[in-house]
Formats: sequence, structure tokens, C-alpha cells
Amino acid sequence: MRILLVEDDRDLGPRIAHALREERCAVDLAADGIDAAHLGETESYDAAVLDLGLPGMDGVAVLRAWRAAGRDLPVLVLTARDGWSDKVAGFKAGADDYLVKPFRVEELVMRLRALVRRAAGHAQPLLRAGPLSFDAPTGTFELDGLPLKLTALEWRVLSQLMLRKGAVIERLDLLEKVYEGDADTDSNSLEVIVGRLRKKIGAALIETVRGRGYRLVGA
Amino acid sequence: MLIVSALATALALALAGAAMAGLLGRFVVEGLDRRLDAELALLASAIDGDGHVDRARLARVRGALDAGPAWRWRIAGPEGTLGSADFPALDPAPPAGPPAPQGPRPREGAAERDGAVHARELVIATGRGDVTLSAAAPRSVVRRPIEGALWPLLGALAAVAAVLTAALLVQLRVGLAPLRRLRDQVAAIRGGARERVEEDQPAELRPLAAELNALAADNAAALAAARGAAANLAHALKTPVAALALDLRDRPEQAAQVERIDRTIRHHLARARAAAIDRRAATPLRPAAEGLVAAVGALHRDARITLDVPADLTVAVDPQDLDELLGNLLDNAARHAAVQVALHAARDGRWVTVEVSDDGPGIPAAERDLVARPGTRLDERGDGHGFGLAIASELVALYGGALALEEARGGGLAVQLTLPSA
Repeated sequence: MRILLVEDDRDLGPRIAHALREERCAVDLAADGIDAAHLGETESYDAAVLDLGLPGMDGVAVLRAWRAAGRDLPVLVLTARDGWSDKVAGFKAGADDYLVKPFRVEELVMRLRALVRRAAGHAQPLLRAGPLSFDAPTGTFELDGLPLKLTALEWRVLSQLMLRKGAVIERLDLLEKVYEGDADTDSNSLEVIVGRLRKKIGAALIETVRGRGYRLVGA
Repeated sequence: MLIVSALATALALALAGAAMAGLLGRFVVEGLDRRLDAELALLASAIDGDGHVDRARLARVRGALDAGPAWRWRIAGPEGTLGSADFPALDPAPPAGPPAPQGPRPREGAAERDGAVHARELVIATGRGDVTLSAAAPRSVVRRPIEGALWPLLGALAAVAAVLTAALLVQLRVGLAPLRRLRDQVAAIRGGARERVEEDQPAELRPLAAELNALAADNAAALAAARGAAANLAHALKTPVAALALDLRDRPEQAAQVERIDRTIRHHLARARAAAIDRRAATPLRPAAEGLVAAVGALHRDARITLDVPADLTVAVDPQDLDELLGNLLDNAARHAAVQVALHAARDGRWVTVEVSDDGPGIPAAERDLVARPGTRLDERGDGHGFGLAIASELVALYGGALALEEARGGGLAVQLTLPSA
């Protein structure tokens, strides 16, 4: 899960990023509205966490810019503005969820996971693929009913495959969703991760589509 | 003011009356004096250079001397005293300092039968000594015309005083009417029913009206600034509190303190919002309700919210306050609902009734009063039904409306609002 975090506060921003990374998310942090608008329009994210009071460009304007550019990534507004008029304005501008500061990290992460799951078209929180099950709200995988231990990168790849199971996911798309913006990426490392996942869950579940990418199979 | 003016008018008229009475008296006395002096001249014509009285001449002029029953005369000279038998005793003459006065002198006195008299006295020097000539007329000759003129005069003056006072009263009422209107308008500003006074005023009041408007504008700006400052402070605090909460999430005791800070901030933020009520607002209910239903629906994905609000309803509630009011109620309902939340509104005369109901567990009748009682501190109630309901009931009370908790048909909670129609 790759998240665009837009937060101008120099104390709070890195703390939220850290907390999200602990939950195995890849996080890009933007500290002003112009930067945020640019990243949201050019990079590929599973979801965005957006502060409203931003230097350069207000959060609502950033959100409108994304929507105007046709970016439909789920956006959670995270703000100190707790008035209902602010909330209504946020949803009208195209927000998908709204959380008021201060907040509990667990709630932020749970809401982000729910947003990403719904954006992938899953109404139910529990996803299955053969012996593999994924509890979206907690982000835990089970294999044959037993907890599956995964590194952050493995988790990101597998959750992407799981959320879009049955569909081919382009290598480039997968790379973008797994690594943070400033990370050194190469497709070999992706193959390494997929190899390790196949060892953990069984080679048959992840199918390589030659020249394109990967696909998670299983009913 | 009216009393003082009426008293001043009465005093001025009384002074005028007294002055006129005095003037009149002087004219009458002068007329009487001339007549008495004419009598004295007649008497004097009957006395020759030696002080001898020419009785034949005196007899000829006697007819002119006896003007009335109480008119008297006397000649006192070297040949003895001659004249009316009952000539009144005169008050002692004022000491006539030398040189002796040449003309007649006024004297006062009292007759035995007819009371006070007014007299004139002339002293003629003759070869055999001084001859004193006196002529007296009753005082009533003076008093009667004065009294006769004075009563109608006083009546006329009283009538003038009454007319003047009435005119003053009308003038005050008419003249002060713009001030009274201005006072009503200032009261309306204070009550929140208007923003400024009319500046189309009489010339004397125009600067005052302008000053009042400037004052009202300053006041509103100061209020908005204070409100904004409180809100900004609360918002500015929330971000560092959020950072602190992230740092302390593994330390429950400290985290509880952070939670308390957050509750206090929210309490005062709600207070700051409720501090400046704008009762002049006219907010269409349906668009506000639709926006809120969408927002609350997005926050509580499992709740199904239905909306039944006629399009023509408008409430006299500031749009932000209306959002707070309905947002809190809908949020509460969605949080506690099994599935269904319903927002229903209707007009009821000068009021608009709004009902927000859910199909949740509801609140037992005994606890309902406690939950929504305004004036209880908002932060004492945690974040269940209480916080939102307390904000809502405080806001409704500020707008002169009412909030009541009932049992919904399915057993859940039904919050009934009565809001002023705009």
C-alpha cells in the first residue's frame, strides 16, 4: 500500500509517516500544497492522506486539482478543522473520508485500508484466494487458517495482488505501489520478492504473465 | 424635561402677569393723581396771596370737588381748617427736606368709614404762612379697575400657559420620535435582529447614527476576531497535540492526559462557535441537510440515511451553526443505529420541526433528560451520545428553539428539534 501523505507540520508529518511505515505502508511525504498537487497528479498511490491547512495551496484546492486531472485515488482528509461545515466542504470537494486531529493511528490505518479495499471493488472486509485469506481491516494474511509472517515489501506486493486477484498487474504498476518515491528500484528486486512469496504461500498462487506482470489465482 | 419646561413657562407667565398688574396699577394711580391734582388746583384758585379763602369761589367749584361719596378735601391755613368733615387722618408726611417740594405730594391714610384712602397734598406759601391743601379718594378707586382687569388677564395667561405646555408636549414627542426609533434600532442590533441603524435620519441625528454604525461594526469585528482567535488557537493546538498523541500511543497514562487536552480544546472550540449567534440568518434547510447526509454517510458507511425535507423550508439559523446542529445529531444517530437513520422536517407555523431518528438501542427515558441538559459541561460526558447532543441542545437554546428526546418507533432514539423559521 503506497500512501501520499500531505502534512505541512514538521513535527507531525514525519511521525505519521513513521507510524504508517510501521503498518507496512510505503509513504511519500509532501509538506506543501503545490508539491502535493504535483505528486498526486504524476505518481501512482493507493490512497492519500490530506491535511487541509497547507502553505502554497489549500488542501481542498489540491483535492479539486486531483479530481479535475482525473485522479480518482481515495483521499482521506486529516485535519484540525472539526466543524461540520468543513467536513461537508471536504466531501463535496471529493474526499472519501475525513478524520479530525488528534487521532489514533489504528483508526487512520483502518480507514485507509477500508478505502483502498473499497476502491478495489471489494465490499466485504475478508478476501480469499485459495488457501490464502486477507483480513483487510487488520491487514493480516492467513494461509490455511494460520498467520502468515511477511516483511513489509512482501506484504505490499501480496496485498496488491490480493486486492486485484485474478487480474494481471503490470510490473511497473506494482513497482510504483511497493516502493517509496525516493527509493532505488529495479525490477530484479521485484522478482526476488515474488520468489520469496512463492516459497511462503506456494508457487502456484502467483502466476507470471510474460512480458506484462503478475496475477494472483485461486477461487 | 417636560415638567421643567412647564414650570419655566408658568414662572415666566407669572412674572409677566405681575409686571403687567404693576404697570396697570401705576397707570390707574397716575390717572387718580391727575384728578386729585386738578382738585388741588381748584382749591388753590380760591386762596389769595394772604392765605385768605375766597368762599364764594369755593362754593362755585364745590360741585367739581364732590366726585363721589368718599371723595374728600381740606384746606388748612392761618384761617383755620375748612373742608370735608370726616377728612381722614393721613399717615405722617415723609420729612420734606429743604428745599420744599413745589408740586403736590402723594399721601396715604385711612378714613374711619371707608378704609384706606389715597391723597394728594399741596402746600402754598402765603403772606400769612403756609396753607396746606389736601384731596383724598378712596383706595378702592384704584383697586377696582386693577382687579377688574387682572382676573381676565390672569385667565388669558393661564390659557397661554396651557397652550404652551401642550405645544411643548407635542414638540417633545415629535422631536424625540427619531431618537426613540434610533433606540429601538440599537436594541435590535444588541438583540441580533439587525446589523446597523438607518442613516437616513434628521440632520442632528445623522452623525450619531453614523457613529453608532461604526461602533456596531467595530463591535462585530472585535467579536469575530475574538471568535476567530479562539478557533485559531484551538486549531493550532490540535496539530501538536496530534503529534504528542502519536508519541505517547504506547503509554496509556500519558495518552489519557492528551485525550483530556483534546476534549478541553473541543469543548472551547464548540463554545467559541456558539458565542456569536446570528439570528438574522436565513438558511435553506434541504441543501444543508443533503450535504450533511452525504458527509455522515461517508463517515459511517454501514448506516443508511434517508432524508425527507421539503425544498421550501428555511430556518433562521446561521449556516455553520445549522451544520453543527444537524451534523452532530446525524453523526450520533449513525453511530448508534443498527442500519437506519432518518431525517424528517416539516413546517409548523413560525417554526420548523426536524426529527433525527435511528433504529439503535435508544436511551432509557430516565436518562434522556440528563443527556441533553444544556449548561452541563460538555466535556463531562465523554463521546457517546452526550457530546453531540449537548452541543446541539446548547445551539438550539441560543436560537430560541427546543430539543426533545423521544423514543423512535422502532425503539431507537428520536431527537426532535424546533427551529425558528426564517
